[in-house]
Amino acid sequence: MIDLCHPSRLGSNLSKGFVPSVDNLETLYHANRSINNHAMSQPVIIEHLVKVYTVRQRKGLFRSQKIEVHALNDVSFEVKEGEIFGLLGPNGAGKTTLIKILTTLLLPTAGKVFVNGYDVVKQENQVRSSVGCMLMGERGLYWKLTGRENLEYFAALYHLPPKKRKQRAAQILKLIQLEDIADRTVETYSSGQKMKLAFGKALIQDAPLLVLDEPTNTLDVPSASELRAIVRQLNQQGKTVIYTTHIMAEAEALCQRVAIIDRGELLALGTPDELKASLRSARITHIEGVISAQAEEKVRRLPQVRRTTRSAKNGATLLTVVSDEGYEILPDLIRVLGEHGARIQKIIPEEPTLEDVFIAKTGRTLAEDTRVRS
Amino acid sequence: MTQPSWQSVFSIVLASARMRFLTITRYPGQLVLDTFIPIVFAAMPILLGRAGGGESAAEMFQRNTGTANYVGYLLIGSSVFTIVSFAFWHLAYWLRWEQESGTLEALYLAPVHRIWVAAGTALYSCGRGLFAALTAYFLGALILRFNPLQGELGLALLFILVGFIPLYGMTLLYGAVILKVKEANALVNLMQWGVSFLMGIFFPITIFPPLLKIIALLFPPTWMTNGVRSALLGIGFFLGEWYLDLAVLWGFMLIAPLFGYWVFNHVEINVRRNEGVGQF
Ligand SMILES: Nc1ncnc2c1ncn2[C@@H]1O[C@H](COP(=O)(O)OP(=O)(O)OP(=O)(O)O)[C@@H](O)[C@H]1O
Ligand SMILES: [Mg+2]
Repeated sequence: MIDLCHPSRLGSNLSKGFVPSVDNLETLYHANRSINNHAMSQPVIIEHLVKVYTVRQRKGLFRSQKIEVHALNDVSFEVKEGEIFGLLGPNGAGKTTLIKILTTLLLPTAGKVFVNGYDVVKQENQVRSSVGCMLMGERGLYWKLTGRENLEYFAALYHLPPKKRKQRAAQILKLIQLEDIADRTVETYSSGQKMKLAFGKALIQDAPLLVLDEPTNTLDVPSASELRAIVRQLNQQGKTVIYTTHIMAEAEALCQRVAIIDRGELLALGTPDELKASLRSARITHIEGVISAQAEEKVRRLPQVRRTTRSAKNGATLLTVVSDEGYEILPDLIRVLGEHGARIQKIIPEEPTLEDVFIAKTGRTLAEDTRVRS
Repeated sequence: MTQPSWQSVFSIVLASARMRFLTITRYPGQLVLDTFIPIVFAAMPILLGRAGGGESAAEMFQRNTGTANYVGYLLIGSSVFTIVSFAFWHLAYWLRWEQESGTLEALYLAPVHRIWVAAGTALYSCGRGLFAALTAYFLGALILRFNPLQGELGLALLFILVGFIPLYGMTLLYGAVILKVKEANALVNLMQWGVSFLMGIFFPITIFPPLLKIIALLFPPTWMTNGVRSALLGIGFFLGEWYLDLAVLWGFMLIAPLFGYWVFNHVEINVRRNEGVGQF
């Protein structure tokens, strides 16, 4: 509180030449950027982050035992400016824990975290000013207030003057298309409408970084894709987004880079394409047409091919080829089949998904809940 | 993003108070019921006094307290107690409510210290308590037939307003306990009886044994109650003069919120280091 309240204090951690008459935090944000270069170079820097919860394990009515839950183990990565960064992992992976540390709700057990150049432990108010966060969905709203009153109140908490609060609330209500129910108390909203309002709340202070924890959780398909469209639009306007989900397709469709975490460990990080390309597992190609047994035999002899199966489909033959390579095998396949009189009607290479990446890394599917080792 | 300033922080306090008022208006009837609490509360000992003391009740009372107006004395006690008790209930209830509804976490996402949001709640509580106490006092005077416009009303009000700030500091302490143990009811109930006893709502604390008296005097609401009574009924200030008593309250006003803030901060860090504020 204290270090943010007074303009002269705002300047105190800046370099000597800086005149402390900053107009707004954004100025401070940019001024600080040029000074503290390493920490400022990326919106989020996480170094060797560890989070251990201590919980009581109940053993009957009165007995309990203290145990440690290692929710995050030595996680390090950076989020780049202007990207949509996906945090992907099954239930209990540690996504929410990570996000709560990023947004100062939890203190890390060990490690360093910088958000927009600010240390989440030492500069919590600066961090809070520079992040828009949607965490617990509909639970983070005042149900006895209207949607508009909610937004205006949260705007006040971000130091917006009364007139701006109204403007901002109206703007956001329009963006998330809740104008028609804006003056009803939130308790009368549907889950999806509450979720949208919670998303709108994250936009209230127009922060450069948006952190969204499973924002499409209770939304129907059209609403979810609407929300993703808004996220994309905000990203194009320059906002960096961290997007948590356990839905593969969502991460694949939306995120420029994805981190896969499981049991508190970072398993993989890269663009969805990189991650898929890193898969060393088998690729599957389906070929439909008129294909003789002899042609199949020749295909099977190709060095990259592990297995083939031939079956009938819609009056044609379906040849399924399991190989070590993906698209790279296609020229060879087409050549060999052509040489042996096959007529190809359709080639369908099976795309690996992020789900496959996850399976390859963990031996489990994403749908399984993973309990953290304790 | 807008720059935080003292104005914007003050504005947050007001917005938080306004938000509480908005919320309570969605539960109609509450504000009216508030008014009856102190009257009903005072009615019991008043009737007991009439039954047990008979004709000599007023005389006896005069000897022990310095005023024969025991009805006024008790009604003032219960009215001031309403303000004190509201402060505890409202802050506790507010914190629990935010905890249970998940909005406490949302508050922790905002770049403003929680004590300012709590201050908004305190302001709301002060308004609601003052409204209840004043209406109860005047309505009670009408029902129980004594003249409410005696003594110095302005000075009485000053004692309440100055006393409210250390009271808020104390509620912060106890908000810190709720933040950690995540339970409010038992604590408030216990507090309430302890407080009502110590601040002497129905009797002068001069009848306490010395040690208990010292404890009671360390407690700001005791000074608040006595200040209001002295201003209105002329029973005599603890230190002889009104400004000395007020100065003591003023001292509490400086210390209590700082102490409350310090404890609250410590508990908060402890909670954030482990489970976070999201749990309830
Ligand atoms: N307050 C807490 N105390 C103890 N353990 C906790 C606490 N919060 C979370 N955990 C544990 O830490 C691990 C990570 O939880 P977290 O909520 O971060 O997972 P998540 O990836 O967000 O999962 P989901 O997809 O289900 O939301 C889990 O095993 C969980 O049981
Ligand atoms: Mg989660």
